[in-house]
Amino acid sequence: MNNRSVPVRPPLPTASSGPTPSSGPTASSGGAPRLAARGLVHRFGATTALAGVDVDLAEGESLAVMGPSGSGKSTLLHVLAGILVPTSGVVALRGQEVQGLGEKERSLLRRSRYGFVFQLGQLLSELSARENVALPAMLTGTSRAAAEGAADRWLAALGLTGAEGRRPGELSGGQAQRVAVARALVTRPEVVFADEPTGSLDQSTGHDVMKLLVDSTRAVGASLVVVTHDADVAAWCDRRIDMRDGLVVAPGSTTGTGAGPRPGERAAAASVGQDLGHGLGDLPVSGGDR
Amino acid sequence: MRVNPVLALAPRLQRAGGRDSRTTTVLAVTAFAVSTALTLSVVAALLGFVDRAAHPVTDLEREAGGFYVTLAVTATILLVVPLLTLGGAAARLGVARRDARLAALRLLGATPREVVGLTLVETALQGLAGAVAGTALYGVLLAVWTQIPFQGRPFTVGELWVGVPVVLLTWLAVPLLAAVSGAVSLRRVVVSPLGVAQRVTRPGLKAVRVVVAVVAFGAFMVVSVAGQALAAAFVGIMLAGLAVAFLTMNAVGPWALGVLGRVRLRLARTPEQLLAARRLLDDPRAVWRVVGGLGLASFVAGCLAVVPLLAGGPGGTREDAIVSADLLTGSLLTLAITFLLAAVSAGIAQAAAVLDRRRELSLARLAGVPTDLFDRVRRREVLVPVLVVSVGSALAALVMFFPLFGLAAVTAPQGLLLLVGSLTVGVGLVVAATEATRPLLHRVLADTVVRAD
Repeated sequence: MNNRSVPVRPPLPTASSGPTPSSGPTASSGGAPRLAARGLVHRFGATTALAGVDVDLAEGESLAVMGPSGSGKSTLLHVLAGILVPTSGVVALRGQEVQGLGEKERSLLRRSRYGFVFQLGQLLSELSARENVALPAMLTGTSRAAAEGAADRWLAALGLTGAEGRRPGELSGGQAQRVAVARALVTRPEVVFADEPTGSLDQSTGHDVMKLLVDSTRAVGASLVVVTHDADVAAWCDRRIDMRDGLVVAPGSTTGTGAGPRPGERAAAASVGQDLGHGLGDLPVSGGDR
Repeated sequence: MRVNPVLALAPRLQRAGGRDSRTTTVLAVTAFAVSTALTLSVVAALLGFVDRAAHPVTDLEREAGGFYVTLAVTATILLVVPLLTLGGAAARLGVARRDARLAALRLLGATPREVVGLTLVETALQGLAGAVAGTALYGVLLAVWTQIPFQGRPFTVGELWVGVPVVLLTWLAVPLLAAVSGAVSLRRVVVSPLGVAQRVTRPGLKAVRVVVAVVAFGAFMVVSVAGQALAAAFVGIMLAGLAVAFLTMNAVGPWALGVLGRVRLRLARTPEQLLAARRLLDDPRAVWRVVGGLGLASFVAGCLAVVPLLAGGPGGTREDAIVSADLLTGSLLTLAITFLLAAVSAGIAQAAAVLDRRRELSLARLAGVPTDLFDRVRRREVLVPVLVVSVGSALAALVMFFPLFGLAAVTAPQGLLLLVGSLTVGVGLVVAATEATRPLLHRVLADTVVRAD
């Protein structure tokens, strides 16, 4: 990893600043970005994990972050998601800077406006699939009955009818990841962050999970950031950036031409999403910090 | 001599475990040390009373020596289960973490015998370290025990020194019991290495446990009435019955907690209520390991609430006054030790539970679950079972002794004071012990599971 001086960055776009110029190394297509980062630097002791990264994520866009081990891609996800506070640089959600928020505010931000899918081990082992999905909604103030009803609809939409009462230990890897997708989306987040979501799955199951993740995220209008080292997984996303030594080395290449979803599949998922969107209409998008 | 390569890994695996591994080792050794020190103290008191009965110096020791030995045996019976509970908690400590590591070894091709061997070595070494430290602690405690008068005079260090053979036996027995307990709890790894990673739902607890308990309690109550005719065998029958009834508490406790968990799950409205109820229902045995010690201690308190009645009223001889005072002192000592054991057991068991769940807790925090939710869940999952178990256990003891003493144990002010006071202190101690795991929980939650990637 290198310790480099941060070059001059393009200005941080805001909700009112209009379309982002394509001068940014990872700029997306037109429109104010939902999530934007400028000059991100993050150090773990003497190690520089991010050496000055700019990222824009458009409304409803899916972005794959690729790179070898140690390239800084997971750190980038954690900084964008407000899990880590960058050593320097700016992260803005809909034009509002979030890197300066306190731990409690960032925690509230994560549970109310973001969704997360990790590689494995993220479901609480004592809760059933239904309860795992319902929990984030309950944390934002939804009643247990409404949250579990929404959870059941999500689980049904993701092909898990009959598995609602099962515990994580009684689910296959693919089923557990689908439950995780449902859990990430039940609060209708603005951005979903997925860290190697298919890393513990075989190729076929991973394909199914990515399809559900991308389509369901799009169906609820959320943007998606996927960290992966697998080009087949990245192919599901609208756009891809490559990282090396804490820097974006291949910004903004358009993907979606490889193993990505076929038009028919997208249409079916969109239909499911509409049903879900209708069914989840009563769920709050964000809630108070109780 | 050629050392098995897998067994040779034991010290390296211990070191490779990092801070958590060191934490679990320190906690386990501490638990073994506390249980060893208190076991030696109890054995010392028993041997001390036996010695005084065999070689009486005063009239009281000559006349009431046998009675004191009976009381010492009773106290020992009451303390056996809490002592074993703490030893078991120590052996199980962090076993899920070892489970995962050893399951990986199994998948890499280590034989079941090697996996069990590794566990035996690791746990036995912790047991031995705890036994040695516990013996030293027992030596320190002798200074306290020799300040307390019994039969009109305090015990001397010589009277309370258990002797080298008993110490050596302890150093052999504690590692052995620790290894056996560890091996039993790792049975699942040996049967199926994948069974651990999957953490499947455990089989439910059968209501037959309650039937067994009711029969045991009923038998005690019948024998305690009918047995008075069999004067010679009465004490023996009573003590055996007490031991059986006491053991059945351990069988019924987890079942009762499971029922409590089902009720609480149905009523849960908030995330913390849901999580606390699920944790209780998920593994009632694990929660019993946290609160069971207190349950048993409360049972002891219920049994000892009759002591002020037995101690008799004013107007007796000087010997009567000494016996009365000794009954109270012995009861309070027994209670203090059981509550201390319960508190240490609770703290150790909850620390183990936090470490076992570390990955999912940490990821939940990353996903925005507020840190204080886990604190509220931790308190809730202990407090309600603690209250239910302590009051329930004390009531069970009062019911069991009803044929002998009626309601006098709780209608007499002294008995009621002893019962309520000890339950309050006991619940406070257990809650304080579980609060002591708060820094560990926060340390686990603070771990972001982030690689420099």
